[in-house]
Amino acid sequence: MESADFLSILKERGLPAPQAFFPPEATVSTGNGVGPAGVHTEGTTILALRYRDGVLVAGDRRATAGNVVVYDRAAKVLTVDDRSVLALSGSPANAYEIARLLEISFQHYRRTQLQELSLDGRLRTLSRLLKDNLPMAMQGIGAVVPIYITHEDSGPQAGGRIYFYDVLGANFETVDFCTTGSGSPIIRGALYFLNRWERPFAERDEAEALRLVLQMLETAAEFDTATGGFKSTAAIYPQVMRVTGDGITDVSDTDLATHYGSLQVGS
Amino acid sequence: MLDEPYRWVEAIRNRREYLEDQLEGASPVVGVSYADGVLLLTSTPGPRKVFEVYNQVAFAGIGHPADIEKLRKAIIDIAHVEAFNLSASDVSLQRLVAFGLGPLVKAAFDEIFRSPYISRVMVTELDPSDPLETFYTVAADGAFTSSANAAVVSDTADNAEVILQRLRDGDDRDGSLDAALVRALDAWAEGRAHAGREQVEEVEEAGEPVTEQERGAAVRTALDAGRIEVAVLDRTLPTKTKFRLLTEADLEGALAAFR
Repeated sequence: MESADFLSILKERGLPAPQAFFPPEATVSTGNGVGPAGVHTEGTTILALRYRDGVLVAGDRRATAGNVVVYDRAAKVLTVDDRSVLALSGSPANAYEIARLLEISFQHYRRTQLQELSLDGRLRTLSRLLKDNLPMAMQGIGAVVPIYITHEDSGPQAGGRIYFYDVLGANFETVDFCTTGSGSPIIRGALYFLNRWERPFAERDEAEALRLVLQMLETAAEFDTATGGFKSTAAIYPQVMRVTGDGITDVSDTDLATHYGSLQVGS
Repeated sequence: MLDEPYRWVEAIRNRREYLEDQLEGASPVVGVSYADGVLLLTSTPGPRKVFEVYNQVAFAGIGHPADIEKLRKAIIDIAHVEAFNLSASDVSLQRLVAFGLGPLVKAAFDEIFRSPYISRVMVTELDPSDPLETFYTVAADGAFTSSANAAVVSDTADNAEVILQRLRDGDDRDGSLDAALVRALDAWAEGRAHAGREQVEEVEEAGEPVTEQERGAAVRTALDAGRIEVAVLDRTLPTKTKFRLLTEADLEGALAAFR
């Protein structure tokens, strides 16, 4: 039987998988996480949490190289298909390439096999891509640490799901929330505290969950230079997406502005 | 033995005849434009014949199911490799056919010692840059041709012409989906009824217009033996992919009269 797998097709045709974009001999391992060109942009705060209707996924917009802000409109939450998104922290070049390959692999599978790839199959595909990316990660220039968020319509895994990965490609499911990137240690404890002793996130409605997400991102931005906060001068808001049974929708800038407005009260 | 030019030409001619024989009796695929997109219709005893290729590209084939599958897989692979190497907006039907499907089918046809693809296919793109490239049909020898508002692949050239004429007579390219469905089904039935007459060789009927009863009988025969399969590329769909296979419920309005 012919290969049904898009990654294998690319390999058969000698087309580059992500790790081949920078062949190992062309790079220099400096051991300090900075590549040859000095561009190393993994500072980020990504946050995904399960609320009443599904999952909210948010990411700040800042991309940095060392202590320089390179870009303030980076998109770190990328839609993969009509029901799942990938939130990325790590080297953007490889991260975007992995997200792109994942999206096309799932489409290709659905169209050739006339059925959706199972959740386990999708998780496994992402694991393979991360494993292929290992040489880049080992050299300190291309590590990618994604979170995969999906809303399954049916089956034993129905509902909103959050999976996080390590650099080697192992995946783990989190139940309540997940945060990655350089700003994540700052808010992780607060998130645990709020979920455990204030009110479980799973019981909160969208407005409540959204305000929490914005508060957390601002907290991370306050203490982590690599995380961008809300920039009122240019109206640059974090990226926030809802992953629910109705599919994937962006929380609009107008909605974010309203919620930011409500957060200012009492500050 | 094939080193003489005459023998080679003869072998190719035999191959054409073989393909005509193999494709005889195949249920045609009819493609029409309507207000919100394009529609492909055919009948099948079971295996699917109309498929999604890419966000805005669909595929349908007649002939051997295994060959239809091979060609479908080939064009899907090409489209996705293209989308990966360049971008989704660089996947165009014209290039998929002219540099992909056409040469692939021709290569198999020209290799005398290999089996050709026993299939004729129709591919369609929603809103191509040139409207004349909305539909492409690829013959079993790899020859392809494009058209704007309607297309047919059929078992014989005669049937294809009958169907196309029917579509031209009832042209309603800005009509609704329901109207397009009825129109495509009507033209498809016209072709089937016409082909049925040729099979029984009722000479006295030749030249007479196909009757409503004959068209109805053709649809009923298809429903008894299998199903009518219809898919659309609908530009009003909110998703990236514009392909939608119509459900039994979607078809019921058009088919109820024949049940």
